[in-house]
Amino acid sequence: MNPENFGAPARSPEIQSISKAPTAIRGLDVILKGGFPLGRTTIISGTAGTGKTVMAMEFLLRGALEGHAGLFISFEERAEDVRANASAMGMNPAVLEEQSKLKIIHAEVPADAVRTGDFDTRGLLAMIEGHANLMGAKRIVLDAVDFLMSIFEDPGRERAEISILLNRLRDLAMTTIFTVKAEPGGRKIYPFLDFMADCVLFLDQRVDEQVRTRRLNVLKYRGSDFLSNEHPYSLTPEGLVLLPIPSVLPGESSFKKRVSSGNDELDRIMGGGYFMGSCILLTGPSGIGKTSLACTFAQSAYNRGEKVLYVDFEVCLETLVGAMQSIGLDLNPALDSDSRLRVLTGMPESAGAQEHLIRIIDEMTRFSPQHLVVDAISACRRMGSGKTAFDLLLHLITECRAKGITCFFTNQIRNQEHLIQVSGLGISSMVDTIIALEYFLEDQRMNRRLMVIKSRGSDHSKDFYRLDLSDTGVSLSRDTGRGDWTLTPDKRT
Amino acid sequence: MDLDPGQKDVTMTNKSECSFDSPAQYHLVLFVAGDGLNSSIARQNLASLCENELAGRCRVNIVDVLEDFSAAAKNNILVTPTLLVCKPEPVVTIIGNLSDREKVRAALNLKEVKP
Repeated sequence: MNPENFGAPARSPEIQSISKAPTAIRGLDVILKGGFPLGRTTIISGTAGTGKTVMAMEFLLRGALEGHAGLFISFEERAEDVRANASAMGMNPAVLEEQSKLKIIHAEVPADAVRTGDFDTRGLLAMIEGHANLMGAKRIVLDAVDFLMSIFEDPGRERAEISILLNRLRDLAMTTIFTVKAEPGGRKIYPFLDFMADCVLFLDQRVDEQVRTRRLNVLKYRGSDFLSNEHPYSLTPEGLVLLPIPSVLPGESSFKKRVSSGNDELDRIMGGGYFMGSCILLTGPSGIGKTSLACTFAQSAYNRGEKVLYVDFEVCLETLVGAMQSIGLDLNPALDSDSRLRVLTGMPESAGAQEHLIRIIDEMTRFSPQHLVVDAISACRRMGSGKTAFDLLLHLITECRAKGITCFFTNQIRNQEHLIQVSGLGISSMVDTIIALEYFLEDQRMNRRLMVIKSRGSDHSKDFYRLDLSDTGVSLSRDTGRGDWTLTPDKRT
Repeated sequence: MDLDPGQKDVTMTNKSECSFDSPAQYHLVLFVAGDGLNSSIARQNLASLCENELAGRCRVNIVDVLEDFSAAAKNNILVTPTLLVCKPEPVVTIIGNLSDREKVRAALNLKEVKP
């Protein structure tokens, strides 16, 4: 023991993980910390329609594209149907079959077959081995193993045959995927299978407030670490997509550069403007001016040549453009060029949160904006369960933090108490700047005011400022009559 | 007779070892896996059947999937032994070692023979 190291913090040794076969399925290798166990058995279980076959086929297809030949044995569906279903999911097995990187085999016992004595699966094994050797395949999928087992009417026999199959595939060092149907509610038809496999995944789908959500669970992964939560997933035209929340919390970054809010007064209030790459939350009741402030920020950014992605869950594009024109803000020139401002609109109810998230993240990848605006995060509660808005926010913040993108979120609230909550869950620790807008009664008129509740890393004014919306835009002033601050409309450049 | 990948799957043409132009009344194809117990029993039972009740009117093919694994794939064979009764139509699939004589006969539409 070296005395010099004594005071040093302990470093946990790298866990020597087993060898893995990368799946190349989006997000899955992050959850499995590398992929499926190489040369071992993985079970994908789930109720009907959860995407077990899609996942298994995608594993083989993506592997085949990298040069790993794979064998797909279907016990339930015919080869043509397997091929057609894969094509419908945007995958093209026929080309790979021609290159002998993939083979699809249908092995069945017809329903009207006559049983006349004992039989076994030695023939199946011979067929598997023969084709695997011919193709040099080390990856194999056995789809609908429950179908295979139902042929043997004796439970003891079922186990025996599966064991023989599994052991032989293990001897051949084949990376084996079994798909198995589970009963709704997760009850296993063949519980012993889980013990035989090295890795078990469970796919679940449920309908939550009229929106379907799919979730993947890693139940077991012998010899390896994995992300253990339930992970939402989607079946998209490009295959299965998972967006796991990384296990590292978005840390507090040290922000250096400032960006203008688009309004000189607000910049002054903020001590110089917003921080580039930070997360700003603007909260307030309906109609108070959140969208106006969001667009004021966006316009000032794109006029400087920075790209803005504007996600609108509340209104359609025409309505947004029209509303902004009433405050003298014309979005059309930027929209026409499409290189500075891009707007994504859509009803929150139109899809699950996962699908919306994928759409936004994909657009961010394509467009590479410097800034992201989401108007309004509160509309996301219509995407399913109440927690959905929170999860979406968390994902977007994480994504933006990683890329240094400024996020600007609006949050519609009814009650002043819920200023810093989204669907009842506190988010103040996740955002860097919170600006609250509220109505107040003065001289029997409803007026608007703004206050910066919090701004991490910046000295900000703690006063209320009067907010006015006119056809020349947004303006802020200290309470009239005090004389210190005068009305200064924001400059249009 | 190879199965064309573009061909629509119809029950009868599924079994590519079957040929329909054989003059015999019965065309039977037995898929076995080497010399295993079930395979040996099936061979014996089939031989006995052909010598006795089907004498002179059956044509038999025996396919060992350990030697010809692609035949198994082409015919969607899952378990062994499997006996395909290609002719007369419709194609009947019989699985198992053929020990249950009554069932085999019933599947072949043979009248019961009193010993």
